[in-house]
Amino acid sequence: MNFWVVVPMVLALIGLRFLKPGILLWLAAWWGGCFIFLRFGILPPLPSSIIGLFMAILTAALALYGTADADKLSAIGKSLRAFLMERRFAPWLWGSLVVIPLLVGFNAYRQATSEAVAPATGRTIHPAPPSEITFRGKKIDILKASNPFRELEGKDKAAFAGHVAGGRAIYYKNCVFCHGDNMEGDGLYSHGLDPQPANFADPTTIAMLQESYLFWRIAKGGPGLPEESAPWASAMPAWEATLGEDEIWDVILFLYSFTGRKPRAQERAE
Amino acid sequence: MTYRFGYLYALILAGTIASPARSEGGSDACAAGKRLYMEKCSQCHGESGDGKGVGADFFNPRPRDFTSGAFKLRTTESGELPTGGDLAKVIRNGMPYTGMPAWPRFSDGEVADLVCFLKTLNPDFADTSVHPKTVTVPKPPAYREESARKGRAIYEENKCLDCHGSLGRGDGESAPTLKDDWGNPIRPADLTRRWTFRGGHRREDIYRTFMTGLNGTPMPSFMASVKEEDRWPLVDYVYSLSKGDDPGYASMVTAVSAKLPKDADGIREALARSKPALFPVIGQVIEGRRNFFPAANAVEVRAAYDSESVAILVSWHDMSPQTSGSNSPLASKGDSSRAPLTDAVALQIPFKAPEGNAKPYFLAGDKKNPVEFRFADLGKGEIRDFLGKGWSGLTASGAAVKADARYDSGEWSVLFLRPRRPAKGLAMDRGVFVPIAFSVWDGFSGESGEHGGVTSWYTLYLKPPEEGSPILPAAARALAALAAGAAIVFAARFRLGRPGAAALSKSHLSVDTESGDPR
Repeated sequence: MNFWVVVPMVLALIGLRFLKPGILLWLAAWWGGCFIFLRFGILPPLPSSIIGLFMAILTAALALYGTADADKLSAIGKSLRAFLMERRFAPWLWGSLVVIPLLVGFNAYRQATSEAVAPATGRTIHPAPPSEITFRGKKIDILKASNPFRELEGKDKAAFAGHVAGGRAIYYKNCVFCHGDNMEGDGLYSHGLDPQPANFADPTTIAMLQESYLFWRIAKGGPGLPEESAPWASAMPAWEATLGEDEIWDVILFLYSFTGRKPRAQERAE
Repeated sequence: MTYRFGYLYALILAGTIASPARSEGGSDACAAGKRLYMEKCSQCHGESGDGKGVGADFFNPRPRDFTSGAFKLRTTESGELPTGGDLAKVIRNGMPYTGMPAWPRFSDGEVADLVCFLKTLNPDFADTSVHPKTVTVPKPPAYREESARKGRAIYEENKCLDCHGSLGRGDGESAPTLKDDWGNPIRPADLTRRWTFRGGHRREDIYRTFMTGLNGTPMPSFMASVKEEDRWPLVDYVYSLSKGDDPGYASMVTAVSAKLPKDADGIREALARSKPALFPVIGQVIEGRRNFFPAANAVEVRAAYDSESVAILVSWHDMSPQTSGSNSPLASKGDSSRAPLTDAVALQIPFKAPEGNAKPYFLAGDKKNPVEFRFADLGKGEIRDFLGKGWSGLTASGAAVKADARYDSGEWSVLFLRPRRPAKGLAMDRGVFVPIAFSVWDGFSGESGEHGGVTSWYTLYLKPPEEGSPILPAAARALAALAAGAAIVFAARFRLGRPGAAALSKSHLSVDTESGDPR
């Protein structure tokens, strides 16, 4: 969110409230304020089609509010009449008659001259995994499989540390170039990839997922994403060709260990 | 949790590895630095600091060997050890376009701990009686064009072009022969891309590099050979060779509508009107014989089209043209003896229009979504078409045609001409966004097959020709809005301003009475 826009706008609306504006001005302020919020207040910017949709809903809502009871309706009628007729509003009336067409013209000009922008690549963040994959000829149940070395964490600390260390070596030979030294998805080659490599330090990635899900994404990569979870785009390779089953489980242990995150617990099969 | 395992790991290491620095790393700060080093640095720089960590072989330039005492980035004179501040600066800022990342997340205390530990790795640091002479960088004067012009002569006088090339593209005559102190081949900096400078791209950074040289590399210090009044002009000249501080990578190349003549010269002339797009090239670090340091770091692309064809000009910097021998995009199966290799480039587009966003896999396609892979061997000077279903699934799919490829002062440029609507393959219509990707091979660096530089998917857009000026329609819209507004105002005034208007207000009042409003 762009606070440089949102905060002054909210303050302006609150200030306006104290001035006890007429209902017409108040509705106009709401309309304008919401437009400014949607157009400039949200980062990254919303597509204009979305803004159009929200503004249409807002216009309908404000119209409903304004016409909901006779009081407001008559107040609007009066303000409208005063705006159109009374001398004290004349500069505003003539001003708007000049400014609005200028804005319309400017907008038309800008649309005609704007450079085309490549369509944004849609991306399903965590596509639904298949229930089962075939890994080097062996069937693995993605819904039920668990990391075979996870249990060592409680039982045999030294053996567990060994697996984490093994995963660490694999990470720095294979993954670090894109996912980075801090696992923030900002490795040496990340600037050449779109979408950016996953940021494992972020609480919405591996912390939300089961270890078996990571196994599937590492083993099958971008090419292994199912068609029904389109649209997707991923440069993630299928590591099945390079890494063995145990190596993938090791590297998964390392991802959680390094970031200090915990995998999502396996749901109990009913 | 991280901390606990890091600690555990460090304990295991401390127990198993005889560290030469243990006696000196006794203080608390250095012990803390050692723990941090073991967790975050040792995977590349090695547990004993010798630059031989588990990841070391996968980076080029290789990780620094801290035991050697040779550090590139310093404020000290050539051949001297760096100051603690110099080491801290590299940890903080990293080195662009190398495996050394910036570490902004370390606290100042943690950086100081690390520096303390790094200094235990080479005994020379311990000798506190010796103080390396530092180089002071004066406050830079404002950048001036004349100064940069004067700098060109100094650039020539000091033989900078022997390595960095006449236009600074890193293509000097001796560039292919350069080795670092450990015998590894090393490439001179491409001075036209200052965002890749390891020591920073500001003018004071460039000045400092001239004065200190880069220890361990063939880059010497020019402190003795360049007079004081010539230093800033030389800096300004080098600075002037790059377009900006950052590469300004594009996500799309726009093909302009043009008349494409039959001859290559004419087509190149037509392409000069198109705005170039710079796309980053990254190493193919995924499949088969991986490439951790592609020779090219970017390709510049221009495009134009007429009713029949699309012309795409791909150019990139290469320190020496390799034109004798051959090259192929086919996986080499570990066979690197197929020398000599030539330089090569490939253009890749989806074989069929992508449904939604489901593009083919960016490395030569996949089984479900094949790609059209146009491979130009710059030795044979021909372009051959392949159908790509992944690197191991590339099959030749057409006869070779002659390529228009030119090498000039460190830059290759290759012209691809493709029919807009081929019998087989993707039709390129106006106003449509076509995914496009590139691969580059440097024969000198042994690149061939899957061992090359690649880009991910970018977009080619065939921009419809402009029809007339946009000002007239915009003015018409504005006038229409003005007319509508004026009509509303005058109609309202006409109706409300007449005696009948009272009836209108009355009707409002009547609504009020009906709703039981006591007004």
